[in-house]
Amino acid sequence: MHVPVDQLPAGLAACDCLTPFGDAAATAAALLAGRRALELSPVLGRDGGDPVPLALTGPMDETLPPRWLPGLRTLAAGIPPAAWGAARTPVIVASSNFGVGSLYAFTRDHDPRHLAHGTPFASVDLLRAEFGWGGHVHVFSHACVTAHLGLAHAARLLHAGLADRVLVFAFDFVSPFVAGGFHSLKILNGQLPAPYARRETGSIGLGDGAAFAVLTLEPAAFRLAAHALHNEMFHFTSNQPDGAGFAACAAAIATATAGRRVWIKGHGTGTLDAGRLEAEVLARQFPGAPLASWKGSLGHTLGSCGLVELAVALAALRGPAGMIPGTVGGAAPSFTDTVALEPFAAAGFDGAILTSNAFGGAHAAMLLTHD
Amino acid sequence: MIERFLHHVCVEQPGPEETAAGARLRLADKFPRTALRRMTHLGLLLGSALDGVALGPEDAVVYASTFAETRSLEDFLLSFPAASPLLFQTSIHPGGVQQVLIGRQQPVARLWPHAGRARLVEQALLSALLEPAPRVVLVGGEERGSWMLEHHAASARSFAFAAILTREAAGAAGRLSYLPGDTPDDTCPSLENLLEALAEHHPLGWHGAGGVWALEWI
Repeated sequence: MHVPVDQLPAGLAACDCLTPFGDAAATAAALLAGRRALELSPVLGRDGGDPVPLALTGPMDETLPPRWLPGLRTLAAGIPPAAWGAARTPVIVASSNFGVGSLYAFTRDHDPRHLAHGTPFASVDLLRAEFGWGGHVHVFSHACVTAHLGLAHAARLLHAGLADRVLVFAFDFVSPFVAGGFHSLKILNGQLPAPYARRETGSIGLGDGAAFAVLTLEPAAFRLAAHALHNEMFHFTSNQPDGAGFAACAAAIATATAGRRVWIKGHGTGTLDAGRLEAEVLARQFPGAPLASWKGSLGHTLGSCGLVELAVALAALRGPAGMIPGTVGGAAPSFTDTVALEPFAAAGFDGAILTSNAFGGAHAAMLLTHD
Repeated sequence: MIERFLHHVCVEQPGPEETAAGARLRLADKFPRTALRRMTHLGLLLGSALDGVALGPEDAVVYASTFAETRSLEDFLLSFPAASPLLFQTSIHPGGVQQVLIGRQQPVARLWPHAGRARLVEQALLSALLEPAPRVVLVGGEERGSWMLEHHAASARSFAFAAILTREAAGAAGRLSYLPGDTPDDTCPSLENLLEALAEHHPLGWHGAGGVWALEWI
């Protein structure tokens, strides 16, 4: 039987993340305790503006060297040693914002040193120099599904026999650039997000996030068993009203989940229309599967969210409690009765679906399986 | 060896003085009027390169750009503290190609937007070769920057290209191949090198990603 390339499993040899709570284990524990990293902060940092929910690892204002570098150094210290960036051990960097906060800083203080890491390639060059990576560093940028692309491409490289191991490294840190942008769209406002809650006004939060995963074809306890992608191209910032885009992606990943009992880590930013469509489509496609979003606590970590939340899911599955965090910040009534507001036991499930969505009606899902 | 055949090769190389407004006038008949007024220079050039290409929902798109949506990015940054929502949307990679596909209301299966520099071409081509879709649209381009160009953080030139890659040799204009191995890298062609090869049907060959690459014309 022909198995599509995106349904060939790849093992997770290592995976961790960085959030305002710390690493993946600390983040999973905080989510299980129902803690929110989001706090109301001025949308433009020291330039002021309306208070909006941000989950930050430090002050949002850009620094020299860039404010994201110390945290990435800490995260990268946990990457298993290898000749990363060599042809057989490539790196895939996934980000939506890269160092764009430095460009914003340049427009405020005109210090040209910010420009040394403001563009995607310049920020990746900085990472290469910092971490000693070679020249084979692939760079993807597809807004909030970027990390999924990195993971799916890594699996393709492995299955094509073109790599022995692949390091996927995702990072996105909040800056006035992106906070101001979402604030201008009015979906980043003074309310804390309540993912999948049926309420009057939608709102999101934004968060700092970074993560890595090492993918391999060697046996591993946790595996990314399938990936699905779909781009509806209906509108930059809204989805087809009938949910067809969500449905196309959900149907594609469902072909790989047959016979499994899954739970779902949804995208769940806190917007109303997308949240309702997502919850309804997933409830139809996977009846009874509990649905949780963690962006009500961590905020939306943008292009890195797919990998950050994968690391949190792994930490929860490995954790001593054997519990999966519920939708922190969510509130009844939810759009569907599948939304898990409280933590639930991982026992009895043998897979998890992790989804993300992005501007342009981009949809991504992956299936995480384990022994 | 992995190979694909090139069909519908098209490039856009406007003069150095062309602006987005100028491109709107020059290319007006290629776009719906409602979409035209909001499109960026890069979006217009990409759309023109894709003119006449009927895409399907099972197709995949690989998009390569080092600097991407430069002018929207520049203008958005200068719009603070009253940040512009439209400029925010169009400043985000891969807004250039999304403008075109949203204008057409054209869903696609997968979109692979690359944003590297030194080995951008090789990595985008590798994405195209690994894509299982029967038809892969390879698009790329840049738009000339203004104040960011003064600081070497933007392209000095506006251009775009598009090519359809399939497994069908019949009627093809060219052939792309990659032979995996263990050869050391040499210099990877730049995005402008690829543009010129597509425009003038020049062959390209180099070593990279551990193998041997060749773009040949039929």
